[in-house]
Amino acid sequence: MKSAQFSVHSKLCGDAAIIYPVGYLNNLSGESLVKECGLYISKGITKVVVNFSETDLVNSIGISLLLQIIEDLRNIKGTICCTNMSKFLSETFKMLGLLQHMHVFQGEKDALKYLTAGGK
Amino acid sequence: MSTELKRALYNIAALADLGQEITSLNNFREKIQAAFYVITGTFLANKGAILFYDKSTKKLSTLTQKGFAAADLDRIHPEDLMLLGKNKPCCIGEYPLFAVADAEILAPLWVRDELIGALILSSKFNASPYTTDDFELLNVIANQIAITLNNHSLFMDITEKLEENRKLYEEMRHIYRGTLQAFAAAIDAKDAYTKNHSHRVAKYATAIARELGWSEHDIEGIYVAGYLHDVGKLAISNDLLNKTTPFTPMELFEIKKHSTLSHSITSKIAFPWKDVADMVWHHHERLDGQGYPEALAREAISDGVRIITLADSFDAMTSQRPYRKKLDVQSALKELQKCVNSQFDNKIMLVFCKVLDKEIKGELPEPDILPHIDKDSDLSVISALLEGIIEELSAPERAGQSLAP
Repeated sequence: MKSAQFSVHSKLCGDAAIIYPVGYLNNLSGESLVKECGLYISKGITKVVVNFSETDLVNSIGISLLLQIIEDLRNIKGTICCTNMSKFLSETFKMLGLLQHMHVFQGEKDALKYLTAGGK
Repeated sequence: MSTELKRALYNIAALADLGQEITSLNNFREKIQAAFYVITGTFLANKGAILFYDKSTKKLSTLTQKGFAAADLDRIHPEDLMLLGKNKPCCIGEYPLFAVADAEILAPLWVRDELIGALILSSKFNASPYTTDDFELLNVIANQIAITLNNHSLFMDITEKLEENRKLYEEMRHIYRGTLQAFAAAIDAKDAYTKNHSHRVAKYATAIARELGWSEHDIEGIYVAGYLHDVGKLAISNDLLNKTTPFTPMELFEIKKHSTLSHSITSKIAFPWKDVADMVWHHHERLDGQGYPEALAREAISDGVRIITLADSFDAMTSQRPYRKKLDVQSALKELQKCVNSQFDNKIMLVFCKVLDKEIKGELPEPDILPHIDKDSDLSVISALLEGIIEELSAPERAGQSLAP
């Protein structure tokens, strides 16, 4: 069951942060996603995995916030991996040309394997 | 579905998002921030700004922005913006006047013939150029943002006017209170023995009404009634008011006219409070119908009248009069208690005692009654008496006691 009220939780897995957005990424509450990533970046983490398994709707506001995360990581030469994306999300990101700026994986494990292997 | 169609749907959805955000119940800052995200998310701009033009100061201020140098934005002059088309986005490179590093698109925001702000965007994150469709979409968005800014500007104007009116009202209220006090001083000056009587009655009545949970508006009303309850005495001769020997029946008849005279005077004033004239008129009525001027009884006497009656009587008892010595507070309270249900209302007396008891115990930060009672009074004795009266008046059989027919 996907919640309309957006929230975010996260965990550290080795040297990578795994972020779990939950709910629709379509309003100002999505700023918490940027803040959560920012907290890890401020601690020196450069590898971020965003697991979208609990988020299947992103609108223009959500895209703007994701752009911010991509840019924040790019500024520190970091890596962003996106996993568990719905078909809608994949197609939206593809249509907007965002896929070139992120690494997409089926699941979290694949992303972590890629990052552990030194993927950039 | 083709990419073009997907893109068109995305743009339509973005317009819907924008509409939803700017009509939401969020505050202005939140609306603008959400609208800003919609715009940057729609055009994939990693830098952007929304500026607001203040007509009164003729200056632009930044409502929200991302990525631009503040000093660059400060260098945008409203006069230069006015040279551009209304809500028409343009490539900033064509206008060297706007030297904002990394800015690519600028849309001056207008509502009718007034500049209201500007929208600035950088190049796109994916490096693709702005298309004709983008410019058309930006034009629609610019109109929407302009209306939002204009609504806010109108709201701010109204808020400012409201604040001016509030200040004006406060000044008038201050003057009004001053006039009222001057009037009361004139009433009390007629009778050497009733100096500050009107002021004290107003204070006591206010304290009772507040304890009863009256609204601030109604409390203000009873405060005014307290000040003016004896205004009719202005029409009674000084000799009569200051007479030291007992009144003859004719003199008493003359004295009793003052409440009706008070009513005649106050009923001509369009007070914003209801019942001021009624409270003034009937402050000598009694619950048993033995009062004047109309011999009203029980339900015909309003709570306001009952409050003023008790406040007036308490102050009269505790003040020196030409024809008798003043009573101490304990004696006055006992006298009032004796007359509960015949002259005074049980509930009002109970509340009056509770307020005075609270004031003595320091439970009320701004006492209204305590400062006016005799400095030599033994407060612990008064408090003990009050506790007894409160207990007695609170007893169910006493509280529900009906008046003798």
